[in-house]
Amino acid sequence: MSISTYTMPLGPVHVALEEPVYFHLTVEGEDIKNVELTSGHVHRGMERMAMQRTLVKNVTLTERVCSLCSNSHSFTYSMVVENALNLAIPERAKYLRVMAEEIKRVASHLFNTAIQAHIAGFKSLFMHVMEVREVVQDIKETVYGNRMNLASNCIGGVKCDVTNELLDYIMKQLEVLEPQTDELYDIFQTNHIMLTRTKGLGLLPTEDALALGVVGPVARGSGIARDVRRDSPYAAYPDLEFDVITEPGCCVHSRTMVRLREIKESIKLIRQCCDKMPEGPVCVHMGKIPVNEAFAHSEAPRGEVSYYIRTNGTDIPSRLKWRVPSYMNWKALSVMMKGAQIAEVALVLNSIDPCVSCTER
Amino acid sequence: MQEVIKGHPQLIDALARLCPNENAIKHTADHYGNGYHWFRLATPHNIKEAAKTLKGFRARLAMISAYTNEESGDGTKELCYHFDVDGTIYNLTVGQNQEWPIVPSITPEFANADWHEREMMELYSIKVTDHPDPKRLFLDEKLDAGLLATAVPLSVMMNGASSKDLWERILSEKEQKQ
Repeated sequence: MSISTYTMPLGPVHVALEEPVYFHLTVEGEDIKNVELTSGHVHRGMERMAMQRTLVKNVTLTERVCSLCSNSHSFTYSMVVENALNLAIPERAKYLRVMAEEIKRVASHLFNTAIQAHIAGFKSLFMHVMEVREVVQDIKETVYGNRMNLASNCIGGVKCDVTNELLDYIMKQLEVLEPQTDELYDIFQTNHIMLTRTKGLGLLPTEDALALGVVGPVARGSGIARDVRRDSPYAAYPDLEFDVITEPGCCVHSRTMVRLREIKESIKLIRQCCDKMPEGPVCVHMGKIPVNEAFAHSEAPRGEVSYYIRTNGTDIPSRLKWRVPSYMNWKALSVMMKGAQIAEVALVLNSIDPCVSCTER
Repeated sequence: MQEVIKGHPQLIDALARLCPNENAIKHTADHYGNGYHWFRLATPHNIKEAAKTLKGFRARLAMISAYTNEESGDGTKELCYHFDVDGTIYNLTVGQNQEWPIVPSITPEFANADWHEREMMELYSIKVTDHPDPKRLFLDEKLDAGLLATAVPLSVMMNGASSKDLWERILSEKEQKQ
């Protein structure tokens, strides 16, 4: 029987996630030969909205660019405004910002790991990972009052202080969380079902990862030690000890292992924040807004987030532009999916931890 | 004590040569000691040479920001290319005007410039030459480039859906067909 090449549409909904993106797969039998994607279904014009709001109001807006990386957006946005205004934030605020960021990172990585188990058909593991994630969700709800958008950052520092009692609570929750994440690491490292479905799948060789400029766990899963927290240190990261995790496998399994190992590093960072938390104020006033331009970037759970701002002396920015990690990682799918089978598309897609709504803004 | 801003001296010299004068260059640092170097290139065409130079220093394209230059007052567009070299950011600005209305694509040098350039073509109506795949990124092909920058009255945008206009239009189209 001859094998013919044909184009297969996939999406725009329910390809691994409940966000719309439309794939055009060129397939030969079951094998994928080429991938093209169409996006734009949920373009919200958020950058234009940001240019009609004040600098202060944009903290709230940018926190809604993405759900899992929400804190990274208000964090980086605040940093870019602080760079434009030449504003130094208090020491305590630096630690509080890092603490919130790492709590969000743990929750984000666990969510992506859970979805991978779900796509692989391992439903009990999916529910188990989501149950472990509830420990982190409880921390967010108890400390910040929200399970998703923490509303912690503001220009000049953070909005609310975290009391010593809450710091103790966080430490106790980490004691519950850590052994459970160790167990998850062992499951994903040794379980036959997960290894069969993910190891060697969705290969992104290091040279391709470098050429495409991918970021976050996608880059680190291809052996590239790229992490803004270490390369351009900000907030309290220069004072804290952590490792940049890399894996050499360049496959879906490597990216999962990067995320699970990074959870350990995040727990280490949160503990250091609780231990070393300096006393003092948590916020400073903004001061006069100059005519200026500034850039800031940070390491969100999915990778580097970049912000650029132009101020014109008023409290409304003349331009606010941001680039999310998924924006850099989509194109890598064309490399990862070549040679994969149609049934593996969802697993490969999930391995870049895609976010459609933040890509399209 | 003079502050030393992080950066690669040879790269800074090479990029400075593409600027018209010293006023087109500035060096800044944030409160964490991270360096930011800003270059305003003489013409948009210099971005191609700058990209090749940056490629030689193993730079990574972090972002391209397109914006309308408010100071010019004539709606001209500017582009700021942000490159990362070992954690230091190099920002290269080019301005488009009637003399230099187009900018060359740097996608051949930096593959991840592809989406950025396609986005600025459709949302800011910026003309990019030699892009290897200049199709639409977010907007449908039927829509004009730069459409989102135009002010559309609410009544037009809603297509008369909140009034009797919609039904009158449907009925008139139906009558015409008959």
